[in-house]
Amino acid sequence: MRLVTGQGYWSPLVWLALAAGVALLAWAFWSRGRRTYKAGTEQDQPFLSGERAPEGAHVGAPHLYWGFAQALQPVMDWLRAFHSGFLGDYVTWMVVLLAVALLVVVLT
Amino acid sequence: MTIGVHAPILAIAVPLLGAFALPVFAKVHRSLRDLWAIAVGAFTCAMVITVAVQTFTSGIQVYTLGAAAPTDTIASGGFPIRIMLVVDGMSAFMGLISALVGLASLVYAFHFLKEEQGKTLAMTLFFLLWAGMLGMEYTGDMFNFFVFLEVTSIAACSLVGYRTWESRPAEAAFKTMALYTVGGLLVLLAIGILYGEYGALNIAYLSSKITGSQLDKIALGLLLGGLLMKVGAVPAHMWAPDAYGEAPAQAAIMLVANTQASLYGLWRVLFTLFGGALSAPAVGWLVTSLGVLTLLVAVLMAVVQTDLGRLIAYGAVSQIGYMLLGVGVGLTVLPSRPDWGLVAMKGGIFHMVNDAATIGLLFLAAGVVKRAVGTRDLRALGGLGHDLKWTSGFFFLGALALAGIPPLNGFASKFLIYESSFRLSPILTAIAVLGSILLLAVFARAFQGAFLGPRLREAKPASPSMLVAMGVLAAVILAMGLVPGFFVEHMVTPAAEALWRGRDLYLAAVLGG
Repeated sequence: MRLVTGQGYWSPLVWLALAAGVALLAWAFWSRGRRTYKAGTEQDQPFLSGERAPEGAHVGAPHLYWGFAQALQPVMDWLRAFHSGFLGDYVTWMVVLLAVALLVVVLT
Repeated sequence: MTIGVHAPILAIAVPLLGAFALPVFAKVHRSLRDLWAIAVGAFTCAMVITVAVQTFTSGIQVYTLGAAAPTDTIASGGFPIRIMLVVDGMSAFMGLISALVGLASLVYAFHFLKEEQGKTLAMTLFFLLWAGMLGMEYTGDMFNFFVFLEVTSIAACSLVGYRTWESRPAEAAFKTMALYTVGGLLVLLAIGILYGEYGALNIAYLSSKITGSQLDKIALGLLLGGLLMKVGAVPAHMWAPDAYGEAPAQAAIMLVANTQASLYGLWRVLFTLFGGALSAPAVGWLVTSLGVLTLLVAVLMAVVQTDLGRLIAYGAVSQIGYMLLGVGVGLTVLPSRPDWGLVAMKGGIFHMVNDAATIGLLFLAAGVVKRAVGTRDLRALGGLGHDLKWTSGFFFLGALALAGIPPLNGFASKFLIYESSFRLSPILTAIAVLGSILLLAVFARAFQGAFLGPRLREAKPASPSMLVAMGVLAAVILAMGLVPGFFVEHMVTPAAEALWRGRDLYLAAVLGG
């Protein structure tokens, strides 16, 4: 069923039909590729950065986006300090929010 | 007189009675307790659905306590002095969200909670919290709103901290309780000011009298401060990751629904109580700005989390930002451009039910992970997909829906928010889209870290009731994603209309005329 937005509409069924078409196209390309894969051979072995991965190696969550986190380090440090975990800070920021709300409401 | 007439009060009274009677039944036998819990849960859901059907088909439902007939709203002195419940489209919509989350939480809890770890206590607090939420959503009286707000606060904090054998939940519960107390006092102070001015507590009566005096504005500011803290808006959001992150899974999803009940309170105050005397654009911009700030700060904090529970908790806070953004844009432009203001409001309100289902599913999946391997530390997790296939699928579905990937439900509501906020300011939309992209990255990282890769340790499989609870939420996500138009037309639009154009109907239903 369509979702009318005022500017246009969103139809998940149309989207699914298009997605199915794209998937079919991808499958058509894939099916024309080489058929040299053999399960259970060294083709199944995992590699990390071109090296054979050691037994049980896992790229865990903290390893992902480290570059992103590194680039944003100053911002993240500030945000971490902002979330200090001290109850006094929590209440202080709540008072700040209250002051802003009161100012906006009273002055307008 | 049919039971349907009494459905609004039964939806609140039955879980309240259920909460207090449950420990008594537990003393007799555990099976009796479980049967009682099932009966109370099923009856509460039936009453909430009855109320919703009656409201969506027949209009506003009014239930006056202590009157000769439930519809006698005005006492002999020509004044609405009795306690009353007033259920319009928005209240009915919120009741359905609470029922959905409550049902999922209850079903999940049966096998998730262990007897030796306070199962009876947790289930008692669950019913108390459920009753409080429904009370907040159905009441037509400001003081009763405060009472139910406090009931939910006490029950929620107890649910966070009842596991006294661990230190972190107790600390999180203490911090949350401190903030809830301050927030509750602000709300009480505002209600006291309004009572002093007008000598009444009834929302409809107060709304008809409020003129926008300086005292009214101070009361509104206090209500905004208290309720914005309760919903977890930045910069008063810090309690939320602590509470959500430390609460057991079945309680965490109730905390999310409880936050949304407070969000409902905020909408009721802005659109109904102060709807006739509000500088809508100024307050709208305040709500919009806080929404954008909330979603951005929460998503950035989610990027660096290493605990799966806290990561989802920051995701939950970010979704509050989207709801504030949607309804804030609506509030800002409704006086001048009601056509797209209404679209924004529909987006914000639709996102409430989507958030309840998606964040709920993610918290329940994280609970399965904790139960399966004893930790939620992403540095120690990996390969759980080998043993927890259904849970992996549910987590994946929830993550995609939360990030707003089509054709799931999160996309439908965010699409409405993006489109309408773009017309107010493209910068708002750019930040909102950036937030969704970051959310996708955050949850892709969590999924890769926890569920993919080689099997690192044996995992205890999820029990059937936990899978059923997650299955219910997953079905809701799929249904609302595949036929969003149906849900928006029959549930979201009546809710948005009740806030926008429904104030006069709300007042007429209570005051007559």
